[in-house]
Amino acid sequence: MKQAAEGKEQDTSKPVTSIGRRWGMVVDLDRCTGCQACVVACHAENNIALNLEDVVLQQRAINWIRIERYWEGEYPNVKARFLPMFCQHCNNAPCEPVCPVYATYHNQEGLNVQVYNRCIGTRYCANNCPYHARFFNFWERDLDDTHREYLNPNVTVRTKGIMEKCTFCVQRIRKSEWERRQADEELQDGDVQPACVQACPTDTLVFGNLEDENSRAAQLAQNKRHYRVMENLGTDTNVIYLKKVDPHASETSPAHAGTAADAGGNSA
Amino acid sequence: MTPRTLRITIGALVIVVGLLIIGAVTWVTQAADGPKQPIEFMHTVHVQENDIDCVFCHRNVETGAEATIPAVEQCMMCHQVINNEHPKVRENPIHEAEIAKLRAHWENREPIDWVRVHVMPDHVRFVHAAHIKAGFDCATCHGDVGSMERVKQVRSLNMGDCVACHRENNAPTDCTICHR
Repeated sequence: MKQAAEGKEQDTSKPVTSIGRRWGMVVDLDRCTGCQACVVACHAENNIALNLEDVVLQQRAINWIRIERYWEGEYPNVKARFLPMFCQHCNNAPCEPVCPVYATYHNQEGLNVQVYNRCIGTRYCANNCPYHARFFNFWERDLDDTHREYLNPNVTVRTKGIMEKCTFCVQRIRKSEWERRQADEELQDGDVQPACVQACPTDTLVFGNLEDENSRAAQLAQNKRHYRVMENLGTDTNVIYLKKVDPHASETSPAHAGTAADAGGNSA
Repeated sequence: MTPRTLRITIGALVIVVGLLIIGAVTWVTQAADGPKQPIEFMHTVHVQENDIDCVFCHRNVETGAEATIPAVEQCMMCHQVINNEHPKVRENPIHEAEIAKLRAHWENREPIDWVRVHVMPDHVRFVHAAHIKAGFDCATCHGDVGSMERVKQVRSLNMGDCVACHRENNAPTDCTICHR
């Protein structure tokens, strides 16, 4: 606001990172077995509505994280490839400039934030998201007393008419932050674990500060297999995927030769 | 206008004005005094006369998000001894009656349904411990509770109030600090 008054234009080519922190996730697709533990954990942690059959049939299911399946080959030689997809927390997020009420914005920690009580439900952001990571609440939650007990008290139960999406479990980031502050310590790498990361049995998801070169996530992001989904759009995402290693790649397509040799780097 | 309708109109007006006055008076007294609690717990007696520290009862305030209202069990820690036979209590019939209420809750194994005074919206995250750690006194937000016979809210504690204080003290003002 102040900047606008002074007539300066915000430099949108660079991420707003003034506090030396940019949260990001590295997803090692070579490790993902498509078990959906992350999906379950996310639903439990973030009070996400249950997707019953009629909701799914209307294509109004809410999944902050989902496992996308890609089938390769022809029967009987079919292979499934899994790709966990969630909000990519783009540094150049297409969802942000279209919000008329500034309910979604980029904060200094590189998070794409959704402020629920600002949202008026225009759904422009979801229409502009290339990753289908944003979900609209078409219904009020109808919770009986038993289900009320399941709710996470640290996360709002969203009402009808607002948009929601992956927050990188910002409530856990804040909790780790003040727990460290209570002990007069700095936030360490590995302190913050979003629910999906905690639940992942194969260590596919690694969360951390990409600005800190020594963090595990930043180290993994250096891997030769790294890529970003729909990188050509210039969204500059904070989620980095590591390509699946195909042991037979050199036999089937010469273009993929060499990827198998880089497989050793995935446990750095 | 016939005299009859005039009388009815005046009568109705008197009733409406009367109700408004009653409403205004209760609103003002409520605002001045805070909500009525199931037990007339007096912070004046506990804090001013007996000099008990806030943290002695609100135990979680330095370690967690909620300051916590003490359980009946914790009240009884002292009031087992400071009961109706205690000479100091017998001086004041109000104290005697209120402590009898507490004992009834204890004996019936029933929690006390305290009326919440400081209500935050569901989408707000407030962590007491972080603010105590930053060096703020309880009174900064809650006022001088020790001198209140019935606890009331002294600050608006709305978003503008929080943001203004965060700016003054160079605390972060990112939305996700409070909004969850």
